[in-house]
Amino acid sequence: MEQSGTSTLLQGAVQDLASGVVSALRGGDHTRSVLPAGTDGEAGDLALAAVRVLGSDALLPALLLRTPPDPAEVAVFRKAVEAYPPRADAAPTVRWSHWGMARTLRRVDPSVTAGPPDEPGTGWLDEAGWQTLTHQLAVLAPLALPGEDCAVSRLAGCHPVDVARGFVRAVRRRDWRQAAGAGRWLTLLPAVPDTVGLASGLDFVELMGGQDPLVALHVQAARLMRSGARV
Amino acid sequence: MTDTRLIHTVGVGAMEWLWTHRDGFRLEPDADPEVGFLERFKPVGELALVCKVLFREGVAGSRQAQLARQLLDHVWRETLDGGTMLVRGQRTEPASPIPFEVYLPFRELGYSRPEVERAVVLNHRLDSWQAFEATPTRRLGLSAFQRRFGLTPRPSESEALRTTWLARTPEPWTVEGHIAYDITHCVFHLTDWGENPEGLTPDIAGYLATWLPAWIDDWLDLKRWDLLGELLVVDACLPRPTLDEPAWQAFAAAQQPDGAMPAIRTMPEGDPEAVFDIVYHSTLVAAFASVLATSRALTELARVR
Repeated sequence: MEQSGTSTLLQGAVQDLASGVVSALRGGDHTRSVLPAGTDGEAGDLALAAVRVLGSDALLPALLLRTPPDPAEVAVFRKAVEAYPPRADAAPTVRWSHWGMARTLRRVDPSVTAGPPDEPGTGWLDEAGWQTLTHQLAVLAPLALPGEDCAVSRLAGCHPVDVARGFVRAVRRRDWRQAAGAGRWLTLLPAVPDTVGLASGLDFVELMGGQDPLVALHVQAARLMRSGARV
Repeated sequence: MTDTRLIHTVGVGAMEWLWTHRDGFRLEPDADPEVGFLERFKPVGELALVCKVLFREGVAGSRQAQLARQLLDHVWRETLDGGTMLVRGQRTEPASPIPFEVYLPFRELGYSRPEVERAVVLNHRLDSWQAFEATPTRRLGLSAFQRRFGLTPRPSESEALRTTWLARTPEPWTVEGHIAYDITHCVFHLTDWGENPEGLTPDIAGYLATWLPAWIDDWLDLKRWDLLGELLVVDACLPRPTLDEPAWQAFAAAQQPDGAMPAIRTMPEGDPEAVFDIVYHSTLVAAFASVLATSRALTELARVR
């Protein structure tokens, strides 16, 4: 029971954090810190874990709105990156998520002098069908950032029709998180079929699933990227 | 690419079941006027259309072709009473296009009932027939059937096509069951039930090639075998059919040992007539998808060689 209670608490913390990111993305309100200031004690551990779950999207307002993040937020983010290195047997998505956080940290924290971390491979997607590919890309939607190149984004760029089909599949299955993540990737990919109707599709995903802040986050990120936001 | 034998076997089983259950193709001369005598004609017309495809493609085995011919003879002689029932239906509801729709494939297969033809020619002259309120896809089908009968379609097929869902190539994520059936039937009419794949305009063919895999995946997952079968027919009508392996394997696995194809998930139980009414369509569709996909698979083989 305790474990399930912790898991519920963590989910709540992730949702709260995502809601803060969505508000910042929507309002362009940079004065309010999204990330919690203190990371001491049990509440602090929970906050750090929530940042780790959200990945580099925890600092998405700073990236997409191109405003310098609050140094205190950067410190929390850095702590989360350092507190949760991927284990040796971690799933590829976990490794990539951590890699994305390290990349973001280098961008926002001038005190990080280490070179860019090595990219994990994309071999696990070599034989993936369009369904699995879209699902995994949606999990890695925080890597979908304009102008930010990596092996995952290059792979996605080679499969616009596959990801578009995956978007349709996710909407049909009412899997709004996957649909929002796939939609976010589609805003960045070349040669996406026009008939997918992406702008309305994102609005539809938000209408149907936007009460989940993780859905709203990707939809809002996609909108900003469609309107030309750069990192 | 799916094993052609597997695809072919689905059709063999389906025809065996249809032949065994041929008495399910029945009319209700004393139907409640609220329901209408013509309601039960639809299965007969669909059977004739599918049997026509089977003869035309020429890929059915001799047993299958023989069953198709026996079935056609049976429903023409027994169910339609040599066409008398079509005449009776026409006299019951003179302006209804249903007797015409059922008659056309029989006529193309060599059966004849001159009274029905006279009524068709007269009806075709009526503004009432042109003004007949129908869904855009059915309207397209009526125009296509008029052309096949030798009449000038009113409205023209290109005009009828314009108002269909598919012609506007809308957002693919909005497709649900009813829209999906509109899509499949639009393709049937545009291609003369698979006879002329070039009847699909390049933009519609491209749209379908892009999105059909997503729809097939979805209705496969939902085990909606009737709709999945129709989507597999659409695939076989495309310039480059995928003959989707997971879909065909699951479709074949869903078929019962006696050849029946459940409409949704598993076979219903109960009164044989009620069961027939639920699964005859999905079983016909299985025969239809099988013969078209087999034909396309063999064409691909010939091309490779």
